[in-house]
Amino acid sequence: MTDDVIYDRGYRRYDGPRLGVTGARRAVIRDGIRRVLGLRRKARRKILPWSLLAIAAMSAVVFVGLHFASTRIGIEDPSLLPRYGELFDFFSWVGILFIALAAPTLLVPDRTQGVFAVYFSRPLTVGAYLQGKLTAFIGVTALIYLLPQVALHIGLAFLSEDGFVQYLGANLDVLWKVPLVTAAYLALHGGLVTAISSVVDRTGVAAAIFLGVLTAGGSIASRIGLLDVPFARWVTLLALDQHPRIVRDRIFEITTADYPAVQAGFGVRTSVAAVLVVAALGVWWVYHRYRKLA
Amino acid sequence: MQPVVAARGLTHDYGPVVALRDVDVEIPPGVTGLVGANGAGKTTFFRILLGLVHATAGDVTVLDADVRRQAGRVRGMVGYMPEGECLPNDQTAADFVAYTAELAGLPPGDAKRRASETLFLVGLEEERFRYLGDFSTGMRQRVKLAQAIVHDPALVLLDEPASGLDPDGRDQMLDLIGRLGGFGINVIVSSHVLTDIERTCDWVVMLDAGNLVRSGPLEAGGDLRTVTVEVLEHADAVAEALLRRGFDVTVAGHRFVVTGEDGSTETAIVEEVARADAGLLRMVRGATSLEEEFLSRAERR
Repeated sequence: MTDDVIYDRGYRRYDGPRLGVTGARRAVIRDGIRRVLGLRRKARRKILPWSLLAIAAMSAVVFVGLHFASTRIGIEDPSLLPRYGELFDFFSWVGILFIALAAPTLLVPDRTQGVFAVYFSRPLTVGAYLQGKLTAFIGVTALIYLLPQVALHIGLAFLSEDGFVQYLGANLDVLWKVPLVTAAYLALHGGLVTAISSVVDRTGVAAAIFLGVLTAGGSIASRIGLLDVPFARWVTLLALDQHPRIVRDRIFEITTADYPAVQAGFGVRTSVAAVLVVAALGVWWVYHRYRKLA
Repeated sequence: MQPVVAARGLTHDYGPVVALRDVDVEIPPGVTGLVGANGAGKTTFFRILLGLVHATAGDVTVLDADVRRQAGRVRGMVGYMPEGECLPNDQTAADFVAYTAELAGLPPGDAKRRASETLFLVGLEEERFRYLGDFSTGMRQRVKLAQAIVHDPALVLLDEPASGLDPDGRDQMLDLIGRLGGFGINVIVSSHVLTDIERTCDWVVMLDAGNLVRSGPLEAGGDLRTVTVEVLEHADAVAEALLRRGFDVTVAGHRFVVTGEDGSTETAIVEEVARADAGLLRMVRGATSLEEEFLSRAERR
């Protein structure tokens, strides 16, 4: 006979802190970031987001390599080389694909898997839930825009003949220009894709519709917008993808393309307004849709 | 004793459909059964208690808090196990339960520890790092129960917790629910299977088409002269045949109660069910007062 004892841990009461809706909102943010990046999910869920992040980072490496090569072959005017503003264009398709992946991943599964019945039986409110999702979306998608820019900034600082610190000091404007342009990209694309993701029940379909709307808008704007018919110039505004790029060109004082809206006589203010309108409509639509769902 | 739920004149309608009609009820601490047929208003009652829908009229307090004014506070003290699918397939049980604890306001570290303890309690310690998409129905029901109690609520609302389970799974689930009462957690469990309620609860609230028809303690012991039968179809035909054979029969939907003194009652029932090709779902001798009361009220309706 032994003296072994079986312990039943039973049920233990919890008397620790309860953080209420603030804690719930933070939980939604953490879960959202993990979900988009595939963290704590099966390996195949990690492939796409991390591949896109790697490609975006590689684009910065290409730019730094270009500058490095230019110093070796002795280009007379290094300012002609592409820098921060052009880098946005270089990996823009990666950013758009990442956004097309992120928003549906954040919104669609919760809605289709019936988890709201659990989530909203907690202190979490619809407003706090959407704030958490929005914060996660901004945080994770800003990463794909900012990561290559940070890599480029550090790379150029290392290559600078004036020295690392002097380069950073002489280029402080990048610290507001890059985040501002990133905000313009995220506001327009985010407003559009979240609105689509709030009504489409499959992540892949939502992403495809988002990409389709961008492509179709650009195509319609370039084909019809410049015709000599009444109201045609307003159609140029349907090329939604051009608006953050017009803002970007103004901020970095560069010219990268002949945008239909610019050809039709619209200025940067119109593009800023378009970005803000799409973002506001997206947020409004999603909030009202989710108030009904919860 | 302070009631865990107190409702006065509680009414809720979905347009022309009245889900709850002028319900006055006080539910005491302990394990309470909420019984009623599908559409009786059980889920609406739960949703009102959670503050997810506001009653058209009337007042309700949960754990002494006004649901309409303090919905967030109420939801912090209450756990809810929904009837339908509510689990994300791409998360592990441990991650999901910890996440729901965080949604209830627990800090991440505490949430992780509580999730582990709660999954141990419901018998899923070994499986807690498996993805929910790979879980069986019984395991999924256990996870649903775990998320309902992970934040140590004072009251848990369980909506048809044994739904879709095989007899073994049902047995284990009912045992778990019975244990919750022993841990000092108040429970309101909804079901349309009356034997489940009789097995786990000490108080019963009966709803019928949105009306409160009974709220009181559950009396133990059934009448051993009666046999309660549930069939898939043709209940009326079977009942008529049994009446012709001299039995006293009460029918309500797919259920009927047959009164007969000896073992020949069961034999006669099986014969008539087979003859009518009615599909026998359940046959229990000793239907309790609850079953009889439910049937007689349904019959009157």
